[in-house]
Amino acid sequence: MSPSRPELVAEGYHVSRRPRWAELATTADHKELGQVLICSALGFLFVAAVELVLMRLQLLVPENTFLSPVGFNRMLSLYGATSIFLFALPFALGFFYYVAPLQIGARGTALPRLGQTGVALYIAGATVLYATFLFTPSEAGINPLAPLSETAFLSNNGVDAWAVGTGLATLGFVFLAINLVSTLRMMRAPGMAWRRLPVFAWAATVSSWLLIVIGPILLAALTMLMIDRNYEGIFFADGSGGAPLLWQHLSWIFFTGTYMLLLIFAFGTIAEIVATFSRKPLFNRNVVMASLATVAVLGTLAWMQNMLTAPIGIGWQYFAMLMSLALLVPFGLILFNLIATLVGGTLRTRAPVLFAIGAISMISIGLAAELEQSLVAAAWHLHNTTAATAATHFALIGAAVLGGFAALYYWFPKMTGKTLGESLGRISFWTILAGLLIGFLPLFFAGDDQGQVVDAYNYFDSADVTAYNVISSIGVLILFVGILLTILNAIFSRTNGPAAGHDPWAGDTLEWFTLSPPEPHNFDVLPDVRSPRPLRDIREAIGHRTRREQAAARESQPVR
Amino acid sequence: MAPHSPGTDQIDTLLKIGFIAATILVIAVNAALFFAVRRFRSERGAAPRQLLGSRGLQFRVGALLTVFATLLFILGVVFTDKARETPSTGDAGLASAKSEPLTVKIKATGQQWLWRYDYPNGAFSYYKLVVPFDTAVELELLSTDVVHTWNVNDLAPKADAVPGKTHKIVFSADQEGDFEGDSSTLSGQSYASMRTKVEVVSPEEYKSFIQTQKSEIEAAQDRVVGLIEEGKVP
Repeated sequence: MSPSRPELVAEGYHVSRRPRWAELATTADHKELGQVLICSALGFLFVAAVELVLMRLQLLVPENTFLSPVGFNRMLSLYGATSIFLFALPFALGFFYYVAPLQIGARGTALPRLGQTGVALYIAGATVLYATFLFTPSEAGINPLAPLSETAFLSNNGVDAWAVGTGLATLGFVFLAINLVSTLRMMRAPGMAWRRLPVFAWAATVSSWLLIVIGPILLAALTMLMIDRNYEGIFFADGSGGAPLLWQHLSWIFFTGTYMLLLIFAFGTIAEIVATFSRKPLFNRNVVMASLATVAVLGTLAWMQNMLTAPIGIGWQYFAMLMSLALLVPFGLILFNLIATLVGGTLRTRAPVLFAIGAISMISIGLAAELEQSLVAAAWHLHNTTAATAATHFALIGAAVLGGFAALYYWFPKMTGKTLGESLGRISFWTILAGLLIGFLPLFFAGDDQGQVVDAYNYFDSADVTAYNVISSIGVLILFVGILLTILNAIFSRTNGPAAGHDPWAGDTLEWFTLSPPEPHNFDVLPDVRSPRPLRDIREAIGHRTRREQAAARESQPVR
Repeated sequence: MAPHSPGTDQIDTLLKIGFIAATILVIAVNAALFFAVRRFRSERGAAPRQLLGSRGLQFRVGALLTVFATLLFILGVVFTDKARETPSTGDAGLASAKSEPLTVKIKATGQQWLWRYDYPNGAFSYYKLVVPFDTAVELELLSTDVVHTWNVNDLAPKADAVPGKTHKIVFSADQEGDFEGDSSTLSGQSYASMRTKVEVVSPEEYKSFIQTQKSEIEAAQDRVVGLIEEGKVP
């Protein structure tokens, strides 16, 4: 256990004598590792965006020959793995890992070396996945459904590399989650009861537990796939005791859980930002926190929503629909309370707020569309059409890109001591918003009206979807430019941004109590936590004291 | 989507219900967000009201959402059940299907990257499926290799053909003509060209089609056997 009382720290305690790269490679500090995760994730966001643009260029005109069918399938597989395993999950975890220990007033993490191993495994996984460029990337798609992913149908080692790469990264994420759970459980500052935990730290708790449950399920499935491919296993082979549907169940539990995790991350971020910038407490805090936990459970139980056209019993399909529709209540309550927090407040619309508000709006479109697609018979039309792609992208780009960028703009001053460029941030926001709407709204129509299928490397002019696809490709290019602007903004502002104090936004939670960037031990002293808004308590107390002193000074004036 | 079977009529209705529900939710959230942001911008001298929450309001919103979700669930079950019903064969349909329902049982087998259809009399066809007008047809989906999804939007629900599993769907076409379809689960390299076509014809044409198909297949078989027995490579 770390000491939780104020302690003396000598000046110049941390003197680095090693080069920066050696520091980063050996550090177990949660702030350094969090930044490694966030920076790598931003790099892979750029790569994923390039891959999406290449696929959309192939789909710009009917029967295009820009990419070959195999080339397209490889791009698709890389895009899926990059955007989920190398961008979205590490981006969310990076913020959790950096911010949550600060928010609870911890001086470090409980299992720092486990977290360090986790980050190393993620980097190793990313390396394996991209080393496939030297031979053959996977061709099996975003979720490589067995038996297509078996050696009988894809005999080169692309799928093996995919399984090893995503497996290493997932194992790394589980390690990070275990460390986060232990830290949040054991290292909270004095007075930081669960009920006073900042919402973002609660989102970190829920997400970490979720990852500890779903991560090993994917790892088990990947192990079975590797045994099938390399040691003549029969887990996912039909006949002889295997079952292709088993892969679908196991992988969809993981992917659905990940979807929920990213939404929980986004809502945690948005809740902090909305409350801070309207200078109000989060409306119905306890309800929001309970809803986040409910989303994790119900959402993951809705995994069969992805299997509504598979030969599973109609009862299971109704169960999936029930779970998906039940999600309407926690999601609805979260959205209601986030918006209600704005009411009566004084909102300062800085860049983090823009991204947060945009994220709410885009996530609402994605979730509402998912709702329609969870109605069983409706899914019999919409499943695996571009309407499903559009719904997923609205929810996940809304959560991981807009929500993630909201977190970036909000916590960047804490991480670097510099503020991200405000006007470039605003331009980036509007460009991303326009790109997302232009890029993915047409796909709803292409999927809903014409039933254009997903993952296909081309389409035919006779299908009446050409116009939709042209617009969509243009939109994705705009989206790409918007994302690039924020990445460039971050690179530029890291050294040249305007200096930020320790508390640039007048935040209410403990991470704003320490320096920007914080010292390696995070806090020299900690206040006693008596409410969910410890920093506001301090500001109020200082205000009271100042007023009292002024009044006393007035009273002591001699009467003339 | 232009539904041409009783099942897809129900699917279409449920799609419309789902679309309306989704639209209501999107408009409600975004309108509330828009007005809240517009109304509660920061102003000089204004102090934020420190509202913590309201239990009554929360119960009301929760109850409203629960009612909305329950209603959607009920509608979902009702229309899904209707869409699953075995349609009855009409007067214009195949005569033998009227006395005994589901006499037209066709096997659809997905294989990389082609659909094969086996008819009750032993005839088969590739790519194109011929079915009689206004007659209940049961399609049994099978796969010999990877997962494929049989997808002819206007006639029948989308359904997966999974190796080692059988998956049955029923439909009855209410219009003669050609219906384009495809496969909608990534199945490898030539997935995008794995298309199919359903030709809905009159019962007489259907009967003659499967008869001709059968005799032609038998003739081709006899010819192959004859050639081999004569010692020639076919």
